[in-house]
Amino acid sequence: MTKETKKPFRQSMAEWRQFIYNPNSGEFLGRTAKSWGLILLFYLVFYGFLAALFTFTMWVMLQTLSSDIPKYRDRISSPGLMISPKPDTALEFYFNKSDSQSYSEYVTTLQNFLESYNDSKQSQNIVCTPGQIFDQSDAAVKKACQFNISQLGQCSGKEDANFGYSKGTPCVLVKMNRIIGLKPEGEPRIECTPKEEGMVNINYFPPNGMMDLMYFPYYGKSLHAHYLQPLVAVQLAISPNGTKEEIAIECKILGSPNLKNQDDRDKFLGRIAFKVLMSE
Amino acid sequence: MKVGCHASSSIHAPRPRQFGDKMSAVCCCAHCDFLSLGMQDDHRLSTSELEKKYGTSIDKGLSSARAAEILARDGPNALTPPKATPEIVKFLKQMIGGFSILLWIGAAFSWISFGIQLAQGVDSAFDNLYLGVVLALVVILTGIFAYYQEAKSTNIMASFSKMIPQQALVLRDAEKKELPADQLVVGDIVEIKGGDRIPADIRLIFTQGCKVDNSSLTGESEPQSRSCDFTHENPLETRNIAFYSTTCVEGTATGIVINTGDRTIIGRIASLASGVGNEKTPIAIEIEHFVYLVAGVAISIGVLFFIISVSMRYKILDSIIFLIGIIVANVPEGLLATVTVSLSLTAKRMAKKNCLVKNLEAVETLGSTSIICSDKTGTLTQNRMTVAHLWFDNQIYSADTSEDQTTQSFDQSSPSWAALSKIVTLCNRAEFRPGQENLPIMKRVVVGDASETALLKFSEVILGDVMNIRAQNKKVAEIPFNSTNKFQLSIHETDDPHDKRFLLVMKGAPERILERCSTIMINGKEEPLDSEKAEAFQTRGKMLNARAPWGRANPDVLSSFCHLYLPENEFPETFQFDTDSMNFPTSNLCFVGLLSMIDPPRSTVPDAVSKCRSAGIKVIMVTGDHPITAKAIAKSVGIISATSETVEDIAKRLNIPVEQVNRREATAAVVNGMELKEMSAEQLDEILREHAEIVFARTSPQQKLIIVEGCQRQGAVVAVTGDGVNDSPALKKADIGIAMGIAGSDAAKNAADMVLLDDNFASIVTGVEEGRLIFDNLKKTIAYTLTKNIAELCPFLIYIIASIPMPIGTITILFIDLGTDIIPSVALAYEKAESDIMNRRPRNKRRDRLVNEQLAVYSYLQIGIMQSVGAFVTYFTVYAEQGFLPSTLLGVRVDWESNAINDFEDSYGQQWTKYQRTYLQWTGYTAFFVSITIQQVADLIIRKTRRNSIFRQGLFRNKVIWVGIFSQIGIALILTYGLGHVTALNFTPLRFQYWFVAVPFAILIWVYDEIRKLLIRRYPGSWWDKNMYY
Repeated sequence: MTKETKKPFRQSMAEWRQFIYNPNSGEFLGRTAKSWGLILLFYLVFYGFLAALFTFTMWVMLQTLSSDIPKYRDRISSPGLMISPKPDTALEFYFNKSDSQSYSEYVTTLQNFLESYNDSKQSQNIVCTPGQIFDQSDAAVKKACQFNISQLGQCSGKEDANFGYSKGTPCVLVKMNRIIGLKPEGEPRIECTPKEEGMVNINYFPPNGMMDLMYFPYYGKSLHAHYLQPLVAVQLAISPNGTKEEIAIECKILGSPNLKNQDDRDKFLGRIAFKVLMSE
Repeated sequence: MKVGCHASSSIHAPRPRQFGDKMSAVCCCAHCDFLSLGMQDDHRLSTSELEKKYGTSIDKGLSSARAAEILARDGPNALTPPKATPEIVKFLKQMIGGFSILLWIGAAFSWISFGIQLAQGVDSAFDNLYLGVVLALVVILTGIFAYYQEAKSTNIMASFSKMIPQQALVLRDAEKKELPADQLVVGDIVEIKGGDRIPADIRLIFTQGCKVDNSSLTGESEPQSRSCDFTHENPLETRNIAFYSTTCVEGTATGIVINTGDRTIIGRIASLASGVGNEKTPIAIEIEHFVYLVAGVAISIGVLFFIISVSMRYKILDSIIFLIGIIVANVPEGLLATVTVSLSLTAKRMAKKNCLVKNLEAVETLGSTSIICSDKTGTLTQNRMTVAHLWFDNQIYSADTSEDQTTQSFDQSSPSWAALSKIVTLCNRAEFRPGQENLPIMKRVVVGDASETALLKFSEVILGDVMNIRAQNKKVAEIPFNSTNKFQLSIHETDDPHDKRFLLVMKGAPERILERCSTIMINGKEEPLDSEKAEAFQTRGKMLNARAPWGRANPDVLSSFCHLYLPENEFPETFQFDTDSMNFPTSNLCFVGLLSMIDPPRSTVPDAVSKCRSAGIKVIMVTGDHPITAKAIAKSVGIISATSETVEDIAKRLNIPVEQVNRREATAAVVNGMELKEMSAEQLDEILREHAEIVFARTSPQQKLIIVEGCQRQGAVVAVTGDGVNDSPALKKADIGIAMGIAGSDAAKNAADMVLLDDNFASIVTGVEEGRLIFDNLKKTIAYTLTKNIAELCPFLIYIIASIPMPIGTITILFIDLGTDIIPSVALAYEKAESDIMNRRPRNKRRDRLVNEQLAVYSYLQIGIMQSVGAFVTYFTVYAEQGFLPSTLLGVRVDWESNAINDFEDSYGQQWTKYQRTYLQWTGYTAFFVSITIQQVADLIIRKTRRNSIFRQGLFRNKVIWVGIFSQIGIALILTYGLGHVTALNFTPLRFQYWFVAVPFAILIWVYDEIRKLLIRRYPGSWWDKNMYY
C-alpha cells in the first residue's frame, strides 16, 4: 500500500492558508461568500424557527400553571429547619463575647431578619386564634397572622440589642421552611439538645419552643403576601466551662406526627445542627 | 494443519507488511542458496547411510521411546506461530486506544478534584471519586469488550483451521500407525499416497508413480514426479525429497522424515514473513479520522468553556469539573464497541456466504475495493476437468459443465453413443474412492489424473454404476498412457455372455488415434475412413478445438476414442494377451468419437463479474496459463466483454501491424508474463490506466506482487486472491488479501485478511456487497450516536452560561451512551441497502469519508439542537410544575448548589432544603434523560435511510430496529422506575406524563428529516443536496 508520507511543514501551512482564504475561488474556510451567506441564512431561519417553537411550547406550558400554587408539591412534603443568623460557610458560630466586632455580623443579620416582623410591618395582619389551624381556603384574599416579636423575649432585640452575644447568651432564631398548604398536626415545638451535657443551658422563646398552629397553612407568595412564618428563639446560656470549646447543638421539630425530623439523606428535614464556639 | 492454528493467533498481531523486498527475494528464488544452505546432504545419502544417520530402520521405523526422545528434543512437527503480540499488550492497547485517553483524562481530573475537595473538607467530594471510578470502569469495560471481540474472531479462525487435523501414516515399532502429523520426528518412516499432504520434509526411499504438487511452495502448479533417485545437487531441485505442506497428487511413496516443524523449507519461509510492519485498513483510517474529529470537538469545546468559566469567575476546580462533563458528553463511549459489533455481525454474515474474515476491519475494505486481481484456476473456474463437447456421428454435442450436473441432456439414442460410452467407461484407470456412494457424483473423490477423473464422472453421470460395468467387462490386459505412445489401451471381456469376443478399447490424442483407424462409426455402422471422412474429422476436430480454444494450450484435453472387437477365432477365451510383445492388433481400429474437456468457469462467475462491472470494480485476471487459454476463459466469464478488443484483435481485424494500432481504441489487454518482465513501472501504470479489461497470462506469483503495487499506485483499493506460498507477498501487499479455503496453502491463509471457503469468485462479490452495506450502515450508526451528544453537551454549556441547576448528570449521560443507545445503534447494522449498492462506484478513499462534514453538521447542528430543545422543554416543565418557573432558575447555580442554604425559595414562596433541591435536580436529570431517549427513537427511525423516504424503506422490514426501540424504552423504564431509588445513579421515578413532553419534538425530527430527504431526491445536485446529504 502506498505509504502515507508526512507532508512538509511548509506545504501543510500553505494548504492551511489556502483553506482559510483561497484567492482563486474566493473561498473563505472552504466556502465562497455566497455559500456562507446561504448557509448562515439557513441557520438563521432554522434556529429562528426552533427558538420560536421553544418559546411557544414554553408559553403553552406556562399557561397550564397556576400563578398561586405550584402544580405539584410532592418533592417537599415535609419542611426543613433553618436558623438565623446563618454563618457564611458552615453552620458554625465563632465569636468572642468581649469583642463586638466578632459578632456584629450575627447581630446585624438578626436585626435585618426581624425587620419584617416589626409591628409597623404587621399593621395589616390580624390577630388569630392561637392553637388552631387558620384555614382560609374559601377566602379570596388570605390574611396573615400577627407574630408578635415580643414573644421572642430576650431574643427579640428589644431588651438586648446584641441578642445576648455580648453576655455569653447568644440567640439563634429557628424557623421552619414555608410549604404551601402544610398543616402541622399536634403541637409542634422546637427542641434543641447539646451534644454534651452541662456546657450550655437552653432557653426557648416562646416558651417550650412552641410553634403555634394558627400560622398554618401557608397559601403561597401571591395569595399570602404578608405571611410571616413563626419563629422560635433559642437562647444558649453558655456556662463558663463551655467556653473555648465547640458546642454542637441539634434542634428538632417535635410534637407533630406529620413533620418529619429524621431522614438519612436530608440532614435539614425537621432538624438542624450547628456549632457554637465562644471565647472570652 | 498446525500452521493454520498459528495463523489464527497472529490475526490481530500486526499484519506483516512491507517486508516485500526480503520476502519476495526469497520467493523469487525459491531455489536460491539461502534455503538450501540449511538442507543436509540427505538427498545424496544412500538408504543405509540414512538409516545410520537417523538411527532408524526402514523396516521397523523408530521405536516409540526413541521417537518420544527426539520429540522432546526437537519439539512438535509444527510451525511456531509468528511472534504474536503478548496478550497483555493487546489488552492494554484496547485501554488506551480511541476515546479511552479522553476518558482517562476525565477520570484523572475527577480524582484530582476529589483530592482537592477532600482536603478542603467538602461533603460532596466523594461524588467526584465515584465519577472517576465510573469513567475508569467505562474505559476498562469497553476495553475488555473490544479485547473479547478480537479474541472471539481469532477463535473463529482457530476453529476453522482445526477442522482438518492432519494425520500421517508412520512406521513405529515395526507397526504402521496413524499419528497426528505434529507428532512426527526426524527419522520416522512415513507412507504417503495420492491426495495426502506431505507431513514433513521427507527423503523418499520408495516411490510408485509418485507426483507432488509443489504449488504451495513454488507456485508452479504442474505436478512434479518424485522418485528415489538423486537427480540434482540442489536439495530443492532433486527428485528424492518431498516438502512439508506440498501435496502428493498421485502414486505412493515411503520416506524418512529429515526435517520437522520450523526446520522445514516452508517453516523457514514462514519465519521470514513474520514480525514485520502493519498497514491500516481503510475502515481503521476512517474510524481514526472520526475519533480525531470527535476528540477535536470535545477538546476545543472543553477548553473553550474552561476559559469561559474561568473568566466568568468560576472556581478553577468547578471549571475542571465542567471540563469533565463536557468531555463525557462529547465522547460517544459506546460507539467503538458498537462499530466492532456491527463489523463482527457482518463478518458472521459473510462467513455464512463463504467469506471468512480474519481481520474484522477487512469487512469494510472489501466494500471499498476498486480492483480485484483474481486467480483463474479454481477461483474463476471449477478447478476440475469436465467433458464439454462430444463428437460422434459427424455431429458436435454440448455437455453440461455446471458444478452440480446430475444428468446430461444431449441425444443419447445413437448406437454410436453406446459404443463410445463403453470405451469411455472401460478405457479408464480412474476410480472413485470407496465409501462415497451417498455423495453427489461431482463431489466424490477420485483417484486418478484430471482428465480420467472427468471421463469417469461423465460416464458415471450418464450410465450409473461405472464400477459395476467395468466388473462385468472384465479387463484382461492394459497398456497405460505414456508420453511416448500417447494412447491408452485395454482389452476386456464383454458383458454379453453370448459374445465371446474380446473388446479392445483405446483412447488418446486425436492424431495418434486417427492414424490407427481404418473405419469410423456412423450411426452404429462401421464405415471406411476415407480421406474425405478424415478431412471432415479434421475440420470437426478443429471446430471442437475452436469451441474450446483453451484446449490448444493443453492438447491433452482432447481425447479420441476407438475400439475393435477381436475376432473370436484368433483370440479365443483362453488367449493370453501380452502387453510387452503386443500380440494383438493396434491398428485398423474403428474410430468412434471425440471428447473435449475443459476446466469450465464456475457457473456463478459471469454474473458476479458483470456485477463487479456495474459496481465499478475492475476485475483483473492473473494466471499462469497460456495467453490464449487465459483470454478464452476471460471472455467466457466476461472479464473481457464480448465487444471489446485487444490491440492484437484490432490489428488482425484491420489487417495492420500491431504497432500501428491506436492503443487507446483497445479496451482490453492481454499481457504476457514475459512482457511484464520487460516493462517499467510507468508502462505498467499506463496499461492499468488505459485498459478497462486486463488479463495477465503466464505470470509468476511474484509478478502478482508487481501488479498489485501497480494497481495501488493508481490509488485503487486492491483485493487479491491467492493460494500458494509464493502468493503471500502479494496477499500481504494487497489492501485485502483473499486466500482460497480449499486450495490455499497455510502460508497464503496466514498472509490473507480473508479466506474464501468455497474458492469461488462469486463469493468475493457477495462480500463486496456486504462490505459496502456495512459502510453505509456504519455511517447511519455514527450519525445516530453523534446526534445525542449535542443534547448531552448543551445542558453543560447552558448550565455554565446561564447558571441554571444542572439539567443532566455525567452518570446519566453514561447511561444513555452505554445503556439505551447501544442496541439501537447495533440494530442499524441490520438495515437493508437503500438502493442497489452494487450499481455505484467504489468509494473514493480520499473523498468519501465515513464521517464527513455534512454528517457531523447535520447531526450536531440540526437534529442534535432539535433534541436539545425538546429535552430542555421537558426540563423546564418539570421544574415549573414543582414550583421553579424558568425565570427563577436563571442565575441560581451558586445558591442552588450551596450546602449551607436550606431555605431556598421557589417562585411560589416555598422553601427548599438542599437535599430536596438535589432530589428535584435528579428528577430533572431523569426527565432530560427520558426526553433524549424518546427523541433518539425518532433519530433511530430517521437514520434508517439517508435518501429514501422511511416509508419506501419500510418501517417494519428491519425487525432488529424494533428490538432496539423496545430495548431503549425498556432500559429507560427500568432505570427510571426500577432503579429510581438507588441514589448513586441519580435517577428518580418520573411522572408518566413527562415521557410525552418531547414527543412533539420527536415527531418534528421525523417530519423534518422526511422533508430533507424529499428535497434531496427532488433536487439532486442542488445546494440542499450538497449540504444536507451525508
